Amino acid sequence: MRTGLGSQLAALIGLLVLWEVGVRVFGVAPHNMPTASAVFRDMAGNMDLIGRGVVRTLSETIIGFVIGATIGFVFGSAFAVSRTLERLLFPLFIVSQAIPVIAFGALVVMWLGNDIWSKVAIAAYLTAFPVTVNTCRGMQAVDPQRVALLRSFGAGPWALFWRLRVPYALPSIAAALKLGISLGLIGAIVGEWFGDTVGLGIMLLQAMYNENLPRMWALILVCGAIGILLYAAFEAIERRWIWWKQEI
Amino acid sequence: MDGPADSAAPPMLQLTNLSKTFDSGHGRLVALERIGIEIGCGEFVTVVGPSGCGKSTLFNILAGLAEPDTGAKILYNGEPRMAPELLGKVAFMPQRDLLLPWRRVVDNAILPLQVEGIPRAEALKRAQPLFVEFGLSGFERHYPQQLSGGMRQRVALMRTFLFERDLTLLDEPFGALDALTRSLMQRWLLDIWQRHQRTILFITHDVDEAIFLGDRVLVMTARPGRIKLVLDVPLARPRPPEMLTSPEFIALKRQVLAAIEEESIKSFQQVAEG
Repeated sequence: MRTGLGSQLAALIGLLVLWEVGVRVFGVAPHNMPTASAVFRDMAGNMDLIGRGVVRTLSETIIGFVIGATIGFVFGSAFAVSRTLERLLFPLFIVSQAIPVIAFGALVVMWLGNDIWSKVAIAAYLTAFPVTVNTCRGMQAVDPQRVALLRSFGAGPWALFWRLRVPYALPSIAAALKLGISLGLIGAIVGEWFGDTVGLGIMLLQAMYNENLPRMWALILVCGAIGILLYAAFEAIERRWIWWKQEI
Repeated sequence: MDGPADSAAPPMLQLTNLSKTFDSGHGRLVALERIGIEIGCGEFVTVVGPSGCGKSTLFNILAGLAEPDTGAKILYNGEPRMAPELLGKVAFMPQRDLLLPWRRVVDNAILPLQVEGIPRAEALKRAQPLFVEFGLSGFERHYPQQLSGGMRQRVALMRTFLFERDLTLLDEPFGALDALTRSLMQRWLLDIWQRHQRTILFITHDVDEAIFLGDRVLVMTARPGRIKLVLDVPLARPRPPEMLTSPEFIALKRQVLAAIEEESIKSFQQVAEG
């Protein structure tokens, strides 16, 4: 990991150099592809603006993620424990995911108002589904012999849930959380497209209308960096705390 | 088995007319048929029988995990019990160690105490003196994946012993171990048993193990599972390993083997006819 970091950084710098040189050598028009240096100049000159966008979009992502993950955990657990509930509600979850979020994004904005909460709702919506599925499947995979053992110790449903089902499902829940945080970021950015004044998503739209290519690329890079950092954070948490595998 | 023992203390466990029938798609399977067992306080009773004789079904019933057919009577400490009432009353150790990979050795050992609602600190205090005895000192903070099969089995046994109940059920605890480790573990288990004064019912398919460990050996038949032979083992304790080759031991072994042999031939013929 530590040695990999150096070479990864070198590869990144190499890519940027290639970008800079490539655009200059082949004489690509600036409205098609700006140089890397132009992009970074724009970024450096607008730190304030971009910074405010980052704070806003990141807040939407994280609040939405926390709400979505909680909803996913609660429903996933309920589905794992109750077959009836699973049969009743799980199909609804799947149908709801089949409708692209864009299709009712405008509706969400009309209901919740054109502020942070409509974006939070969209981020939460996208996070909830994978967390629900993996929580449910992870808990259903619990080894029945271990359930029997804990019952022989006198464990009731509550002890079985917290001491066995939850830790047993954690590796699969962690995988869903990594997916969920990436989806949450997408939800936040897309949510801003339905109208707002702050945030990376709306800044992207503005850059598009103004044909401000350097700004657009600056925002793309920032969005990418946020996505990678969030994913890496969860990867680190997983390695440190949830290292066991579901054994049969 | 006929008539109660005429000792003053009532037996710790008394089973009468215990049967278990499974209804499957293609007919009924009688796993246990009219089992009658009496186990006294502090006794070490071993159950030996061919695979599929319903030993594990018997244990599941005694642990409260399965219900016998109607008509069965279970007296535990002199009180009649329905099977589910036995949940949490009997210390049960299944064949596989079933340790939880996310818990350290010490936390695996105290799991039943925590399930009972005893706070972790208090549970740890109770577990502490046992680590030396179970050959696990220095490994308290290890995870199960870092241990050998023999050590994992000792963690599982320690977990069972910490769950202090009047009756301890051990289902082939040494079945997966190599012969050398197994004989070490047998002597070690006898040692622990004598010091802790527990009542143990022990399943095995190893005749030597059954005789070496038990005060009494129950030989079971296969399909339907019945008790074919109850054999007292009058060998003195403590039992040294040399005892395995003594004439008294061999004589007992011959009796057990003869009973098992007869059964095996019978079930073999059943298969051939069917």
